[in-house]
Amino acid sequence: MNNIVVFAGSSDPYLVKKICENLSIKPSQVKLGKFSNGETSISIMESVREKDVYVIQSGCGHVNDNFMELLILLNACKTASASRVTAVMPYFCYSRQPDIPYTAKGAPLISKPKEKYTFESHPGTPVSSILTTQRPTSPGARRAVEDILETTIISTLSLEQPIPKKSNGGELHKSPSQSRIPMVPERKENSSEMGSFFNANNAGYKLWVAQAGTLIANLLTTAGADHVITMDLHDAQFQGFFDIPVDNLYCKPIAQNYIQYNIPNYQDAVIVSPDAGGAKRAASIADALELSFALIHKERRSQLPKGPPDASLTSGGGAVLSPKPLVSTSLNGPLSSQDMNPSSSKYVQTTMLVGDVRNKICIIVDDLVDTSYTITRAAKLLKDQGATTVYALITHGVFSGDALNRVSQSAIDKIIVTNTVPQDKTVSFLGKKRVHVLDVSRIFAESIRRIHNGESISMLFEHGW
Amino acid sequence: MATNSIKLLAPDVHRGLAELVAKRLGLKLTETKLKRDPSGEVSFSIAESVRDQDIFIITQIGSGVVNDRVLELLIMINASKTASARRITAVIPNFPYARQDRKDKSRAPITAKLMADMLTTAGCDHVVTMDLHASQIQGFFDVPVDNLYAEPSVVRYIREHVNYKESIIISPDAGGAKRAAALADRLDLNFALIHKERARANEVSRMVLVGDVTDKVCIIVDDMADTCGTLAKAAEVLLENRAKSVIAIVTHGVLSGRAIENINNSKLDRVVCTNTVPFEEKMKLCPKLDVIDVSAVLAESIRRLHNGESISYLFKSYPL
Repeated sequence: MNNIVVFAGSSDPYLVKKICENLSIKPSQVKLGKFSNGETSISIMESVREKDVYVIQSGCGHVNDNFMELLILLNACKTASASRVTAVMPYFCYSRQPDIPYTAKGAPLISKPKEKYTFESHPGTPVSSILTTQRPTSPGARRAVEDILETTIISTLSLEQPIPKKSNGGELHKSPSQSRIPMVPERKENSSEMGSFFNANNAGYKLWVAQAGTLIANLLTTAGADHVITMDLHDAQFQGFFDIPVDNLYCKPIAQNYIQYNIPNYQDAVIVSPDAGGAKRAASIADALELSFALIHKERRSQLPKGPPDASLTSGGGAVLSPKPLVSTSLNGPLSSQDMNPSSSKYVQTTMLVGDVRNKICIIVDDLVDTSYTITRAAKLLKDQGATTVYALITHGVFSGDALNRVSQSAIDKIIVTNTVPQDKTVSFLGKKRVHVLDVSRIFAESIRRIHNGESISMLFEHGW
Repeated sequence: MATNSIKLLAPDVHRGLAELVAKRLGLKLTETKLKRDPSGEVSFSIAESVRDQDIFIITQIGSGVVNDRVLELLIMINASKTASARRITAVIPNFPYARQDRKDKSRAPITAKLMADMLTTAGCDHVVTMDLHASQIQGFFDVPVDNLYAEPSVVRYIREHVNYKESIIISPDAGGAKRAAALADRLDLNFALIHKERARANEVSRMVLVGDVTDKVCIIVDDMADTCGTLAKAAEVLLENRAKSVIAIVTHGVLSGRAIENINNSKLDRVVCTNTVPFEEKMKLCPKLDVIDVSAVLAESIRRLHNGESISYLFKSYPL
């Protein structure tokens, strides 16, 4: 291993040490710190001239500080005449951004109906503020399709088991078919906090959240990265944001290995994807191990105070009831805004399970756990559906906020997570029996070795290391 | 149809300066929302259309979580860019990492250059800043940079609040001599210099006074006050040389670390900073602090930039 220099960012020196052990080299000397005013200071203690430099920094902990530190390190190496600078980010920060803006309470902010487009002009175009109209859809056709779908779901489910009906005080009522078309009262948006967020001048403006993805990619390129190595990117499309090569490693071989050797009777297990986005990832593991596969579908719907009779709650069964016709008045004429006062318009979240998990071992597979709402909810649903044991197999365990607390109280029996993000806290909080940490240092070390030597790394995608 | 409209954006923290600027311009700050995930990541949304508009993003970057502020600013710029703004101007009075502007040792990062590149990458079309630590930083950018001066505001403050006829302007180090000399010329005052030998960053070793300060009110002028160790020591040196009293006027009062303690224990009469850096909370802890409002200068520069007028007037004069 000539001419290779590996620098450790401050996010996870332990992982870097392990990667370097696997490469039989020592991490190079670098001093990381901060000036008294909070600016990041670094000094590189070894020559990097004409060297192949790898900077390892995970996007965890204090994300922005760590990211800036990475950028400054890359830039310092580049300006110190390194021949090639590679950013190794086991967990790539900012790779996931919500595509729907949410309020602080977690309800989606649905934009105003786009019926009347206004163009910015001065004085602003007057907009009617009492009308609440629906989104232009073809409700008839859509309803018909939904009815068919719903009845099939009901029939398939009812063959196997009765639809569990739970009711906790009518808190989670919903009216499925009708609520497909979100209707939001004008002005009186979800909460007072967001009330001032819209004014009459911006009717027709759809609130959107800036995606930092491209920016992060461009910043890395600007700082001087020639190559990026990461693992299990949340969106594979993210690779396309870069103008430089990005090697996206997969945790899948390690995960499969764990399932085969450590989960008793894994042949009877079911791989579960906690949301539709991860279905492909989970399905590929299920295919490789020839296991069956189930999917949890999350849906956020707005609930209307007036309309067809409320259907009962479906937190467990996923059955959809009451294929009643849509409220016809709302299609023909505008509802008065009094019907829509914000306190009675709320959003409900339903989860449904597609697939059979009764008396099975369930393995939830996901790439990222942050707030842990998704997997804890999924675990509860699986246990409700009769799953015997619930494992959660996670690539990046960020566990921010009080996520660990939630996991410890959840129905998850064992959580398997890789060390792309340091997991010392997770292990000490949940105990060694409930957490297993998979080591990814070998796969990163091997990819660094292969990239340094100009060998192919595609073999790592399939077989791991 | 193109509109000739201007939008002022500010992050959700430290909006004080931005609000003053907006008030001065008779505008309202555009409604925005910065959301911080528990994991620390930031997402940003603008509640109004900014298509084809002239955007000014006003930030105050102080001490502490500098990197958070920087990334927030970059994300805000990028969000405006992708929302088809016509021109985006970042108003960053206290340019972060301005002191990392050269390779002073082997393999030291030139972070100021990196900052310049990142701002350009994010989509910034123009930068307005104030009293750059080294004006050469303007050359790091590929986009126009307007480096405003706090000097007219400082001159005004000295005329109004200090018995300046008995004063002398002091530069606390050789690097700031030019700035101090210019100010002394403007006020027709004498000028002295303190030479210091710096051992390590944020540490001061030995100070030598060049010039006569006997029975004078010494006004120490600098572009940045960080831990205020330099200022406190300079005050001691000046008083040892029979100065009457010592005040300090700095553009960017970062006041990090033990700054407040240093000022309170020092022999400085007063420390005056501009509001390029948020330090409202620190003013409560330290009665010696005073503030110079530069929002008028920034507001006027924004108005002139928007209308395509010359800015050089502001380099010498305080706007009316």
